[in-house]
Amino acid sequence: MTDHCDTDPAPDMVPGRTPHRRAPWYRALAGVAALLIVALIGVTCVDVIGRYALNRPFGGAYELTQILLAALVFVALPLTTADGGHVEVDLALHLLSRRVQRVLGRLAGAVASVALAFFAWRLVVIGMDQLHDGTRSASLAIPMAPLAFLAAVSCAVSAILILLRKEAP
Amino acid sequence: EELIMSSWLPPKHPIVVNAFEPWAEEVEKVTDGRVTVRIMGKPLGSPPAHFDMARDGVADVTYGLHSFTEDDRFNRARLGQFSFLGDDAIANSQAYWSVYGDQLNAAEEHAGTHLLGLFMHGPGLLHNNVRKIETPADMQGLKIRVPGGYVGDLVSALGATPLFMSSPEVYEKLSRGVIDGVAFTYEAMTAFNLVDDIKYSMTVPGGIYNTTWFFVINEDKWNSLSEEDRAAIDAISGQAFAERVGQAWNDADTAAQAEIGDKVDFYQATPEVVAALKEQAAKLEQAWSEGLGDYDGAAALAAFREMTGVSAE
Amino acid sequence: MTLSLIALAILLMMVFARVPIAFAMALVGGIGFALLRGWGPAGAMVGNAVFETGLNYSLSVVPLFIFMGNVLAGSGIAQGLFSAADRVFGRMRGGLAMATVLSCGGFSAVCGSSLATAATMSKVTMPSMRRFGYSDSLATGAIAAGGTLGILIPPSVVLIIFGLLTEADIGKLFLAGIIPGILGIIGYLLAVMVAVRLRPELAPQVKEVQPMSRRDAISVVAVLALFVFIMAGIYGGFFTPIEAAGMGAAAALLIAALTGGLTRAGLWTAFLDSATASAMIFAIIIGAEIFGNFVSFAGLPDGLSDLIEQMGLSPWAVLLLIVAIYMVLGCFLESLSMILLTVPVFYPLVSGLDFGLGVLQDPDAVLIWFAIIVVVVTEISLITPPIGMNVFVLRSVLPDVPLATIFRGVLPFWIADIFRLAIIIALPILSLYLAT
Ligand code: NA
Ligand code: NA
Repeated sequence: MTDHCDTDPAPDMVPGRTPHRRAPWYRALAGVAALLIVALIGVTCVDVIGRYALNRPFGGAYELTQILLAALVFVALPLTTADGGHVEVDLALHLLSRRVQRVLGRLAGAVASVALAFFAWRLVVIGMDQLHDGTRSASLAIPMAPLAFLAAVSCAVSAILILLRKEAP
Repeated sequence: EELIMSSWLPPKHPIVVNAFEPWAEEVEKVTDGRVTVRIMGKPLGSPPAHFDMARDGVADVTYGLHSFTEDDRFNRARLGQFSFLGDDAIANSQAYWSVYGDQLNAAEEHAGTHLLGLFMHGPGLLHNNVRKIETPADMQGLKIRVPGGYVGDLVSALGATPLFMSSPEVYEKLSRGVIDGVAFTYEAMTAFNLVDDIKYSMTVPGGIYNTTWFFVINEDKWNSLSEEDRAAIDAISGQAFAERVGQAWNDADTAAQAEIGDKVDFYQATPEVVAALKEQAAKLEQAWSEGLGDYDGAAALAAFREMTGVSAE
Repeated sequence: MTLSLIALAILLMMVFARVPIAFAMALVGGIGFALLRGWGPAGAMVGNAVFETGLNYSLSVVPLFIFMGNVLAGSGIAQGLFSAADRVFGRMRGGLAMATVLSCGGFSAVCGSSLATAATMSKVTMPSMRRFGYSDSLATGAIAAGGTLGILIPPSVVLIIFGLLTEADIGKLFLAGIIPGILGIIGYLLAVMVAVRLRPELAPQVKEVQPMSRRDAISVVAVLALFVFIMAGIYGGFFTPIEAAGMGAAAALLIAALTGGLTRAGLWTAFLDSATASAMIFAIIIGAEIFGNFVSFAGLPDGLSDLIEQMGLSPWAVLLLIVAIYMVLGCFLESLSMILLTVPVFYPLVSGLDFGLGVLQDPDAVLIWFAIIVVVVTEISLITPPIGMNVFVLRSVLPDVPLATIFRGVLPFWIADIFRLAIIIALPILSLYLAT
């Protein structure tokens, strides 16, 4: 999981510490995220332009935006995690030896992994509830359970990625 | 024993100030201080999560709207969301507590919690800033924000476009002409600062829609209280709470009407519009009733209207 | 309240041991909640926070405003802004740093996030300043400080979130940010002048100005056009501030296509960076929500506001006390978590204060003024050690510059910010003139 790393400092990253990965799974997921952003922009444009040009607003714009947003966030979470892009503080670390730093880094990854795994488990619980209750969106009747399961998978994958994370330079 | 109550309405909302807070104080009084209620300053989750929050014990006591979640859980709760149900929030709420509670077994739809209250607000109106709706054809093409399922189906059957959004969004959208109108109460017109952006408000006898609310406590928590305390709390909840909260809604509506004065043209729906509404409403009521299985929704609606004194035809 | 303080201490320890802030907050908040209410309720609370945050309609502005900025950055527009600003200040000592400040302000008008503004402008301005022998501290300080304007000059993710938390009119909040934002630019320009006057070795006198091409001129026009499009769209009633993010992103793509500055690779980077930055921000919001539920349950907000109320202070003293609390919190908290954790606590307190004079007679005006004060202290927190997010951004973009150097470089700008904060508190009309 540590190969395919670009060595450029990736100056336009907002804000990350290692450059974006180039692994195929990463690129595929990034492609989906890009499509979700396009869809988010598209929904607003169709709604705004529709209601002025055609007097036909898009009734589902509100909830479609919600669903696309959630999908985007959870599709992108493993990417951010693989990049080591979560906000961390390394201010006091230089006071410690390399060895202690390494151990701390591992430990911190394990702690974050526990949080993400817990998220994943609770999202499965929510998804099962929604499957059972038939939870759906108000106007387009889109079932919500798949979204919860997507979120659960995303958190589970991120939990593994952060546990295996490469030590920061 | 301290009960934790999560409240998502603004802290100065009339039913928070005039119903939930007085109820909380009353609980302490009737249990001689053995049970107290702490209302959290910040809700412990999003508004739609509030039923599950009580069921799962995130908070002990919560309230919310049945129409928050679009799922199969609160089908029978829709009893109180139809048109022509009643103009008095007290009568509405008492009828709702008794008819939904008894005939339609509300407790079963709220499994995992104990019911403290079931209630409704005053009559819903149809506000807009485009034209006075005098014939059903005037509804054509209007973009109307609706709170949930039933009103959405109703206005769409009449040729308008229903749009869904959260209540605080309404001001932004109405003032920018993104929507033409909104189905709301009197009270919401002032609460959400809409008076300047509304020109016409159509009243329908018995209300064009209503929303139904639950007020619940976590079941395990409830059972952990002594029998004496439970009896004391029950006595100020349920039917008594329906009166308290109904009064709060009525007062809020009255205050809003006084504040609005003649800045908005309030008018009675014409017989023609009422007839068109009735025709569509009847279809939707029938579809709902048929989907309830063993429960007789039509009979429950009839009983409800008899209690609130609205002619059922 | 004691429990909250213990939790806060544990949180800081975890954060300094390099646990990502988002997950440290989630873990401390979740475990704290479990200790008070049991594991089942804590699990349900955490699950709700994770799922519902993703579904929060108003947060759709986060990816879209960031994407808008990234598209413009990728199409060379930021470079054009910098070159144009350099024509104004280029021949003065410290001119490049002043041009950096001005172009950061310009970019803020089309970017809703301070982090994105700092990251974008560092890429453009840092190479020039290094080439001409500017000290790293002045160069990075100017970028880190200039970048903070991203959340004050509209559009602004933070102002939108403040508006949604308090039901204030977001359109008015945007207008209110303009004059304090310009004041911020002026203050930072003065900070550069004073710094190079006191220590001329920070910036050599540069005789040549950056060449300004036709493309650079087009960039300035494009930024102006996009700013006008967004503001006119909002105030002309064509779309809401939340929809402005989607419309602005579409317009940015259109500008990129028309000017032809965006390569396929640049577009790909814009998408990818926006997606990963959004997930990073949402993780923090989720963590802040969980931690916030815990501290609110543990009684910290109530305790704090009771304490302030009991002191029986005058409204101005209460306001200054709140600002002081913000300054302390701002040392440790990230900007969005700071807003999400504190505004629900302090807003009811402030809205109950009676300043009773002039423009502050209207409670809505007090709220708008308070919003701007909060945003300015949040800006300051972005460059205040130990956790200054804008400084971290620069650190990640320029790995060879030590954090201490950046924090040292930020100092003159930090002082300018304190003056600006005092002026904005003393003269509410600056925040309210355009908004009322
Ligand atoms: Na901005
Ligand atoms: Na800070």
